[in-house]
Amino acid sequence: MAAASVASQAQAVLRARLCDPGFVHSALRSSPDTNYSKLKYLVASSISEACNNSVLLLGPRGCGKAAVADMVLEDLKKEHSDAISVIRLNGMLHSDDNCATKEIARQLCLEHQLSFSKMASSDDNTEFIIDMLRECGLAHKTILFILEEFDLFAQGKQRLLYSLLDAMQSLTSQAVVIGLSCRLDADQLLEKRVRSRFSHRKLLFVPSSLDDIQRLVEHLLIMAKGSSLPAKYITDYNSRLTNIFSDKKFKGILNSLMDADATTSNILRFLFRAVSYMDMESGFLSMESFLNALSVMQRQPKMDSLQDLSILELYILVCMHRLEDKEQSSYNFTSIMKEYRSIQDAYKTSDKYASTVCFRAFEHLLDRELISFGDIRGRNQALEYRPVKLLISSRELAQSLKLNTTCPAVLQKLFDRERYM
Amino acid sequence: MSQPVTPRRTTRSSAGSASDPASSTPQSKSRPKSTLRRQLIPAAAAAAKEEEEEEEGENDQSTVNVLLEALPGRRAQALDLLRLLAPAPALPLLLYGGAATGKTRALLLALRHIHPRPHRVAYAALRSLPSPRALFASLLSQLSPPSSSSASSRQRVPDKPSDFVAALRDALASLCTQGDAVYLVFDNLEVVRSWDKGTQLIALILRLHDLLRLPQVVLVYVSSATPDAYYSMTGSIEPNHIYFPDYTVDEVRDILMRGHPNPKLYSSFLSVALKPLFRVTRRVDELGAALEPLFRRYCEPLGDSKVVPDESIKRRLFEHIQSHLAVALNETFSVPTRASVDQCNDTGGKASTKRQFGNRDSLTELEFHMSVSAKYLLLSAFLASRNPATLDAALFDSTGGSDNHKRKRKSSQASMNMKDTMVEEMLMKGPGTFPLERLLAIFQCITSVSEDSLDDVESSANMMNGSGMTGLMSDVLLQLSTLCNSNFISKSRSCPLEGSARYRSNIDEDLALKVSTL
Repeated sequence: MAAASVASQAQAVLRARLCDPGFVHSALRSSPDTNYSKLKYLVASSISEACNNSVLLLGPRGCGKAAVADMVLEDLKKEHSDAISVIRLNGMLHSDDNCATKEIARQLCLEHQLSFSKMASSDDNTEFIIDMLRECGLAHKTILFILEEFDLFAQGKQRLLYSLLDAMQSLTSQAVVIGLSCRLDADQLLEKRVRSRFSHRKLLFVPSSLDDIQRLVEHLLIMAKGSSLPAKYITDYNSRLTNIFSDKKFKGILNSLMDADATTSNILRFLFRAVSYMDMESGFLSMESFLNALSVMQRQPKMDSLQDLSILELYILVCMHRLEDKEQSSYNFTSIMKEYRSIQDAYKTSDKYASTVCFRAFEHLLDRELISFGDIRGRNQALEYRPVKLLISSRELAQSLKLNTTCPAVLQKLFDRERYM
Repeated sequence: MSQPVTPRRTTRSSAGSASDPASSTPQSKSRPKSTLRRQLIPAAAAAAKEEEEEEEGENDQSTVNVLLEALPGRRAQALDLLRLLAPAPALPLLLYGGAATGKTRALLLALRHIHPRPHRVAYAALRSLPSPRALFASLLSQLSPPSSSSASSRQRVPDKPSDFVAALRDALASLCTQGDAVYLVFDNLEVVRSWDKGTQLIALILRLHDLLRLPQVVLVYVSSATPDAYYSMTGSIEPNHIYFPDYTVDEVRDILMRGHPNPKLYSSFLSVALKPLFRVTRRVDELGAALEPLFRRYCEPLGDSKVVPDESIKRRLFEHIQSHLAVALNETFSVPTRASVDQCNDTGGKASTKRQFGNRDSLTELEFHMSVSAKYLLLSAFLASRNPATLDAALFDSTGGSDNHKRKRKSSQASMNMKDTMVEEMLMKGPGTFPLERLLAIFQCITSVSEDSLDDVESSANMMNGSGMTGLMSDVLLQLSTLCNSNFISKSRSCPLEGSARYRSNIDEDLALKVSTL
């Protein structure tokens, strides 16, 4: 009883940690010469020197750009609580200029306790923003603009970016623009006039190396003393965990994870799953949970779908494959049926079905997205006559036929025979 | 026992009401699925309030067992769901698998059994929502507190994603103040891809976790498309996956056997009928629909459906069902017409021996009735679609047949190759279009020929017959519109030069042959 509640408590603590980006990246605070420290230095210096600045944080998804920006903001808010105000925009939501100016005006009003009118036009909002920038500049308050999905702001005419950067240059304003993007060439997307007003500072976030990941895993899973859990449990748990970490199998697990995707978010997903698979009776993490989590994360969806097919659907796939091998550039359901009937006549199997039944199996394959139509739905054609193509490779089909225990031998023979023709 | 008593697979309605004794829904097959979900979701929240005082410990084990009992063959997935969904905070979750694999059902049942109970579950049935705006409205209305429902209905539903995210954040913030979890479920996520601006909306939905940054909100997505359908060019944070494979033969048998009043009889039936049907399709709903009429046929020789079969009875029933099984394998669904039902009641065994069910080449008659003029019109449409217009003169000349006195040239290899390619082209292109005038010309030609032949056959000049034949020409356009409405002929784009309507015949050769047997 007590063990169960301790285990569930521990699991809750670990899960909360893994879902909190602040905690995940908090180890960065202590290490020197990271992007975190560089960004913090940049923003802090521009606050203290009362100048404008702009910087881009670039890196693939899940590498911690937004987390680092949040951490920097948190620290700065603690140090200079009234000297900064933060405006957050997201390219997915606010790429439209009117929308963006409205959002900026709304957030400015929120920060400075002014009332915001939804009826204000876009020109009014722009004027208001410029006035606020000037006022804050005179009052020595820095406004920090965080633009997430920066590359989406760079679509279209880039009016927002231009007006923002232009205002920063021409007025007595103090503003820092921090752009986050997963496209490494985000600055190349900017127009000439925008780019000239942009300081070419870029901070590159790269996926971590194995050592960093190892340290991150330890930081996340090792429990510190002094939390609400009993001390004996914590020492047991930590000692087991360090045993696991030093095991070669664990390094192998981490390596295979990193081969696919070495970003922090992938590791977090893996750890979350492993923590959820924690053995609730003992309350300890074991190698089992890590191995299970890894195997679940490395599924191949198309191979799984192929295992789920009925025999008739496999026949249709093999017929399509034979047609492709015969170098027919395009084929449709009627040609597939012709091939199917010729096979049935030649081999006299027990699997000869009517055309309607085969068409239903064909539609099932379309639903599973193992095959698809080759043309865009322009012409008003019946489904039987539209060209189709296979979306799986012949290697996947061969492997699935081998793995399928109920597959009739003739199907395997039909598939193999075309190799030798 | 709260098991359903009707001999069908546990549909979502019957299973839901089986495990929820508080509901008093009748066991009717016509109950639509949406009402079941609406009943499950507030039940999930209501159950939270009721069972909060119960202690943990033994209850965990029993709830897991109840859940596993309700979800046959889904042990691993159910355990995964229970472990990954609760407690909040949790990373988002994606359930994927083929159709009719029990994803939504497993999720909704699991949401009722997780511990701690969710404070609110908001369910977006994306398949029944027509547009993004409807999705926003549905979610916001489910999340707003019920007391202010009248006020919120007067609020404007957000159009743009930014307004929606802001409104969603406000609604969720007010709900999450107590610290309980709120679950947002997006069902049938794959249909959003075909919406207008669907890719952006999918990207938004999948990133809601990052946009909202509320730790008490858990997002769950259910999709029948595999996760690689949602990868975009700029990458995305992936949710945790749970895969629902299709059921195996044994699992399907277990599902179908549940709650059947005569398990021994049904299991002997399934041992005969299930494996052949399983080779055609593995979906439980289609199998259930096909097995039901077969089971009725299976029990026909038995007077009493409660009897427990022994070996001799089983052999007799097997021989009886064999022929019907062969027919059922070649049908997708059968609508029992009145004629066939009457036949079953009257003749019983005699009709089955007369008709050769095993012989698939025999042409059965047309299952529905068509007037003679409609049949002629349909056939002329078929001929017009399948033959190019240039052959019309040869086929339909005044002698009423092909010209016999032209000697047939010996076909050379090249012409045979050309014929093959033409046949292939016909296969690929499908039926062609024809204008209305051509259709009427062929129709007149055929009916005039038939009138002549009929007059020859009929020795007695039956005036009724004669007038009946000339009546074929009337109301042709009316017949044409009827055939168009029943999708035997479809109207295609009108020719840009002439501006007249063009039609295309949709029937295949089998149906044309059936129609032609007058």
